[in-house]
Amino acid sequence: MPGTFKTEAVVLRSIRYGEADRIIHLYTTTRGRVNAIAKGARRPKSRFGGRLEPFFRCELVLYEGRGELCTVNAASTLDGYPALRADGAAIDAAARACDAVLRLLDSAEPNLLAYNLLCRYLALLEAGEERLEAALAFRLKLILVAGFAPELAACARCGERQDLSGFSGAAGGVVCGSCEAEGFSLSAEAHRFLVGAIGNPIADVGGASASALRQAERAINEIVEHHAQVRFRRASRR
Amino acid sequence: MHAAPISRLINELSRLPGVGRRTAQRLAFHILRADDEEAFALADAIREVKEKIGLCEICQNLAEGPRCRICQDEGRDRSVICVVEEPADVIPFERIGEFRGLYHVLGGALSPIDGIDPEHLKIAELLHRAGAEEVREVVLATNPTTTGEATALHIAGQLGGVVIVTRLASGLPVGADLEHADEVTLGRAFSGRRTL
Ligand SMILES: [Zn+2]
Ligand SMILES: [Zn+2]
Repeated sequence: MPGTFKTEAVVLRSIRYGEADRIIHLYTTTRGRVNAIAKGARRPKSRFGGRLEPFFRCELVLYEGRGELCTVNAASTLDGYPALRADGAAIDAAARACDAVLRLLDSAEPNLLAYNLLCRYLALLEAGEERLEAALAFRLKLILVAGFAPELAACARCGERQDLSGFSGAAGGVVCGSCEAEGFSLSAEAHRFLVGAIGNPIADVGGASASALRQAERAINEIVEHHAQVRFRRASRR
Repeated sequence: MHAAPISRLINELSRLPGVGRRTAQRLAFHILRADDEEAFALADAIREVKEKIGLCEICQNLAEGPRCRICQDEGRDRSVICVVEEPADVIPFERIGEFRGLYHVLGGALSPIDGIDPEHLKIAELLHRAGAEEVREVVLATNPTTTGEATALHIAGQLGGVVIVTRLASGLPVGADLEHADEVTLGRAFSGRRTL
């Protein structure tokens, strides 16, 4: 049924289209993933200004016609994250976070937990939080709210609670020494990091060594590959 | 459905940006109806541009031969390099005629979401050029978009201390209404205000 609707959204990605338009990929509060065309958005005098650039959090009026793309009728800013935009590392982290959302949450089902998580992470980047620990904690929480939480308390294969020294994406979480053959070895530090990242706000996630973070990222990637059939890009450029 | 050569032409045309299957078919039939001279002129033009146009060894802009016309021009100021994303971005600067330095064309902008990292752009070539003694200033004229900004910030970080690095001012477009300006643009315009 064609018509207009109002929604709050974060712009995940913006692609040049035609002479002066942009196609924007949105994560909305009311309809999950939505793609829309913003006509004339690249003209200097566009009434959208820079509001449809990536990472803007906006109140939008969208027209839904018969095609696949909605049309943006109006946009007003809720948050433009100006400090994030003045920092190359923060822009990189924000783009990778939006990429993860695009890959993992591709349905038109609203997921308010995921939306709020993304906004919270953008706000942290705005405040100068650029640690890889925070980027990985964001991803871990994202797979949690998407319904793919890894088992971290007991062996995902046999239920053993001691000697959890491996991780298996296929099994869906940590595995014990006797089940480790099917996974890779996960250090106690990496295991502690994953547990802390799930249990605490992103801003409070503890520091970890580079090798523990590498293992944690691998664990996150294996979970989404096995259970969501999605591949994440690397969490940082480094 | 179509004879094999026609299908092949439709396939090739539909690879062009913004050309869908139906447009490709329309173009293919137009080419079929056109006289030989017109159709072969298009084919020749494509062949010629691919054979003769490459990247300038200095600025990475499109060039016929090893160096582009701007880099060959002895009258240009070699102490300033203006960095842009695409070859098309050189044209507006040349049109205003205010800039007399040389350019550097990156071939795009940093965009992790599209898988474009620093090594995919001509950034190493720029750092090498900027290290030359004659270079005094690098002007970052990437687009005022998120990806253009990320690119400018990355290059500025790499060039810190080597040369003077400047960024094009960003602010309100001439002839636009203040009420349509977004908050980030307005904030930058305000912090970049000048005395009159
Ligand atoms: Zn086990
Ligand atoms: Zn040149």
